Amino acid sequence: MSTPTVDEATAPRADPDADRVVAALVRDLDDGFAELVRTYQGLVHAVALRTTGHRADAEDLAAEALLRAYRSLADHRASDDGVSGGGQIWLEDLAPRPWLLTIVVNTRRNQVRDAARRPRTDGATLPDEPVSGPSVEERAERREVGERLAALLAHLPETQRTAVVLRHVTDLPLTEVAAVLGCPVGTAKSHVSRGLARLRTLIDETGGL
Amino acid sequence: MNSPGMTTSGADSIDPVLAGLAGLAPTDTPDLTARLFDGWFRAASLIGPVWVAAGSDGVSFLRAAAELSEDDFRAAHRRRVGRPLRPADVVPEGLEAALRGDATARPRLDLRGLTDFQRDVLAATRTIPAGETRPYAWVAAEVGRPGAVRAAGTVLATNPVPLLVPCHRVVPSGGGVGTGAVGRYIFGTPAKQRLLRAEGAAIATSTPEEGSAR
Repeated sequence: MSTPTVDEATAPRADPDADRVVAALVRDLDDGFAELVRTYQGLVHAVALRTTGHRADAEDLAAEALLRAYRSLADHRASDDGVSGGGQIWLEDLAPRPWLLTIVVNTRRNQVRDAARRPRTDGATLPDEPVSGPSVEERAERREVGERLAALLAHLPETQRTAVVLRHVTDLPLTEVAAVLGCPVGTAKSHVSRGLARLRTLIDETGGL
Repeated sequence: MNSPGMTTSGADSIDPVLAGLAGLAPTDTPDLTARLFDGWFRAASLIGPVWVAAGSDGVSFLRAAAELSEDDFRAAHRRRVGRPLRPADVVPEGLEAALRGDATARPRLDLRGLTDFQRDVLAATRTIPAGETRPYAWVAAEVGRPGAVRAAGTVLATNPVPLLVPCHRVVPSGGGVGTGAVGRYIFGTPAKQRLLRAEGAAIATSTPEEGSAR
């Protein structure tokens, strides 16, 4: 923690696609949404995959989150039919990337909460059920580094895992990590650091990478 | 943290954990567009031209082109179904035949946005064969809610996929045979009478009795 680093918060890398996607959404909701999907679905899917850990669940989560985003855009547009023009202003100020990922994280949290209330009966793995027991270590030995890392990520507390995934898997600037987590940049930075430290401990405990 | 470098970029490039994490971003992203978007198009039907919206799971919305402009249809679909729309590149299998009145054509329907009750009512209605009618009370009983006759009627009055779920075959109790009282229809009572007559259902063609319209 004492290593001096460039303070990323002071040099955020702007989202190069934001202006184009917002302009497309202002022109036409459906065409703009197609542009949004093309632009961000890879990122949305990456975050969904690394927070669910299951490919099929990840695709479901990504699709569900994108549909929620569409409905939110449609609602804001509908609110524009009045005299205030509030929806238009909201849209023009929108930072689409952290906004979308916030929806992914919240949608995931709702899924986990619902699953806890009403366990799935279709034989699928419970979301967020940590892979545990000796079989993990056993399988881990045969895994690629990436798969081992992915499995160990699942052992981090939710906020730390989300912070590490956003910052280091999808390479989001800290300002956007903070926006998604809904906390100050300094707090986001600390979630990333603590998540990474925990991950390194887990790696050491399970025999290194 | 045992970050070996002095700057973040230097550390990122040589730290095996950070490099491993960066490698976790999947490279094979599925294209979700087809899963998210419904396609819309105009088609001919027994009641004239209709707008249709359909996605990978089936037809989600259908309305008469005479009653809604293209923009109004898209807005209604957005409110009702809540999915983005794009021009369709394929028409669902069996749809055009079904819209022409081919009773053997059963295109898939996407009724995910509905409640269980609404889905049940539409599913029961879809089992009524061409040339026959059933009272609203039959539908309510069929879905296990014999007291919910009025609620079943409301579901059918706002049927997202008329013609494909033949809500025109549901008539007021005591209606149908011989009475001419066919009840309300999303495309209007005259269209309901024309459809039932074309299917050979036993309804009176003239002198409707008063009173039994629900």
